[in-house]
Amino acid sequence: MKPIYFIVFIVVAVLQIGTPLKMIFDNEDILISGTAYKFKTRPVDPTDPFRGKYITLQFEMNSFEISDSDTAYVYGDEIRVYIENDDEGFAKVVQVSRKPLDIGSDYVIAKVTNTYSDEIMFELPFDRFYMEETKAYDAEKAYRDVNRNSKKNEVYAVVYVKDGASVLENVIIEGIPIQEYVE
Amino acid sequence: MSSKFNKELQTLVGDKIISPELADKIEQYYATKDIGKPTKLFMIFGIFGALLVGSGIILMLAHNWDDFSRLTKTILAFAPLLLGQVFTGFSILKNKSVTWKEASGTFLFFSVGACMALVSQIYNIPGELGSFLLIWMILCLPLVYLLRSHAVSLLIILLSTYYAIEVGIWNYRNTETPWLYIAFLAAILPHYYHLLTKNTTSNTVTIFNWILPASIAIALSTFIGRSEDLGFVMYITMFGFLYTIGRLTVFKELRTLRNGFLIIGSLGTIVLLMIFTFRWVWDELPKTFNYDTQELYTAVAVFLLSISVLGYIVIRKGIRAVNLFQVAFVIFGLVYFLLPDTGILPVVLMNALVFALGMSAIKIGADKFNFGILNYGLLIISILIICRFFDTEMSFVVRGILFVMVGAGFFLTNYIMLKQQQRIKNN
Repeated sequence: MKPIYFIVFIVVAVLQIGTPLKMIFDNEDILISGTAYKFKTRPVDPTDPFRGKYITLQFEMNSFEISDSDTAYVYGDEIRVYIENDDEGFAKVVQVSRKPLDIGSDYVIAKVTNTYSDEIMFELPFDRFYMEETKAYDAEKAYRDVNRNSKKNEVYAVVYVKDGASVLENVIIEGIPIQEYVE
Repeated sequence: MSSKFNKELQTLVGDKIISPELADKIEQYYATKDIGKPTKLFMIFGIFGALLVGSGIILMLAHNWDDFSRLTKTILAFAPLLLGQVFTGFSILKNKSVTWKEASGTFLFFSVGACMALVSQIYNIPGELGSFLLIWMILCLPLVYLLRSHAVSLLIILLSTYYAIEVGIWNYRNTETPWLYIAFLAAILPHYYHLLTKNTTSNTVTIFNWILPASIAIALSTFIGRSEDLGFVMYITMFGFLYTIGRLTVFKELRTLRNGFLIIGSLGTIVLLMIFTFRWVWDELPKTFNYDTQELYTAVAVFLLSISVLGYIVIRKGIRAVNLFQVAFVIFGLVYFLLPDTGILPVVLMNALVFALGMSAIKIGADKFNFGILNYGLLIISILIICRFFDTEMSFVVRGILFVMVGAGFFLTNYIMLKQQQRIKNN
């Protein structure tokens, strides 16, 4: 076999290792130097055939009233959602925009799902939280129990944000990480 | 070599058909010829082993071990990948046997997927399944040519079909078209072509001959949007295309059962045309053609592709080399687009077309002395007649007589052909 094959293979191998490494690097960077926000949320339980069980998070923060209704947003548009902490320490929307704004807040990239006359509905990107397969359904159940006791504020996701990129670090129920809560 | 074969040799010697010396020679000949055999078996076990271990690792990782730290998970993610790369690199560098290459390639294929899946889990990366599959396939595609691996190329065909369905049908949020499926298919084709021309009658080629047309037939549905009626036209055209491919000279040596292109193309054409022999199907077609442009362009592209392959055959071998199955999609297209509002006419034409296809299958079968094809033709005509009972007013006596005639036709045609075959043998 010609040596060129081995050289090409080395390049392929480097790419094969490099792709997941790049994923790790990008995410670690956000976890280390990004800012943490809390998003109120609700977990439900689907499966991915290759990556396993996860819970999908439905966030309370999913819409914003826009002042300039001239700007037409359509389904699937990517928008910047600028956020800051409210009095209770949860993330709230400051402004949404298609173009970068110079207002000093952090932002996350979201996808437009629907629009009403002056309200814009969107979907936050970090809606997937992987869990051990036996625990994912329990997590959904645990949320329902907490919700029934009207302690809605006590289920939230901790998300690190930096320059528009975000990493979902954990989901907390009543002050305890969800994995431990369902045990 | 099998002991049964040895026993047969002994019988031949005993019956004085061949001399003992000749029997020894034959035995030795096959003994040396069989030397290559075990490697083949090893190869199959090697691939299956790698396949099972690889997919087992993916499943175990999908459990999502909460108890492991992020570092442990990361090490676990990269260990199989590095192992697979060392084995693959070794088999390329030392130019190891086919078994080595196929097995290490298969294992590496899965470990790349497993590694990315685990990293996605660790950081809760939300990416769609479609884009995950896409990166996985891009990272493994070069292995097909670096290792000349059939297993990896089959895996890529399967995964790209999965990708097409995931992106085009299952993903409810996006109504995207999986264009990259075409790119993956095109990337695999040189490997397939090389294999086909080198070793046409091998089992590996047979697997490709079935998986490729099946994949194309499944994936086409992901390119069809809301206009289902145009989808029918696209499918009939595509089946005509597959059939014509199956009739190319490269496939001539193959037995019909090993030619998936021919069988899938022929069955698909018949089933779809059979649907259009019903009157209510034509009545329910939309009265105006109102398609979105992308769909129309895809349909035109499929049509041009089929026509050009057909044209190539006509130019190379003359119009006589073309049979009715290959042009059925053209006839259907003409009827569909030119005569949709002419009442009963298109229905009559479609019935005539299916009938003619049945007759031509009978003729092909008779010419080749192939009972399978002959009865396939008879079956087409029988089903056509049975279908007509559903939408025509006919007395039970007439229906009964028709059934008896079709049944008698089966007996008679087979009988005549059997007699003819015997007569040729006797001469």
